Amino acid sequence: MIAGHFGFAAAVKGREPATPLWALMLATVWLDLVFVPLFVTGIETLQKVPGAGPYGGSVIHADYTHSLVGAMLLSLFLAAAAAWAWSARSGIVIGLVSFSHWLLDLVVHRSDLPLLPGNAGDLPKLGFGLWRIPIASAAIELVLVITGALLYWRAAAAAARAAGSRALLAITSSLLILVFGCFVLVLDVTGLVG
Amino acid sequence: MQFIVGVLLFVIVLGALDSRLPWPPAKGADN
Repeated sequence: MIAGHFGFAAAVKGREPATPLWALMLATVWLDLVFVPLFVTGIETLQKVPGAGPYGGSVIHADYTHSLVGAMLLSLFLAAAAAWAWSARSGIVIGLVSFSHWLLDLVVHRSDLPLLPGNAGDLPKLGFGLWRIPIASAAIELVLVITGALLYWRAAAAAARAAGSRALLAITSSLLILVFGCFVLVLDVTGLVG
Repeated sequence: MQFIVGVLLFVIVLGALDSRLPWPPAKGADN
């Protein structure tokens, strides 16, 4: 899941207009951004599921960045940075958006999300495995993207109206969210990324 | 890697557009 995370962040911006959108967008993929260097160095890995299609067709051994406690710690770190930079409220919002990544992943992942970093204690891993039904997970992502773009557009247009400025910028930004989200979803579903 | 660069570019372009909208200030939003 990639596009759905962005859609969720855009929806949050619609409700929390004081928090910068770029920060929400980075927060929503923060766990994946930390995953990249660990993946490159071989600390965290991907394992193709035999017979699975390209979309969500891997078991992700991200035992640090995508463990429950690891995700909480990474989100707390980002929340503290946002609270320091802007406000306590923005810190809470950014932290929750960052942790929402783990919750959305929980829905689609194939039981590969550990509770403790490094899968300490070898506890059962979590994941409801909606990726086994690609059409359902893709539909949820699409709904998140469309809802996010709509909620963002509604808030952005209202802010522009209140300031007496034109809504062109609000429409452009909303369309960018919608088009990029759909584009990323298509790339993800067809296996061109991920 | 290209995908990560693409995502970061998207965030930068969208962030630049969004920051021109008259949102309430992020700094001190608790007050």
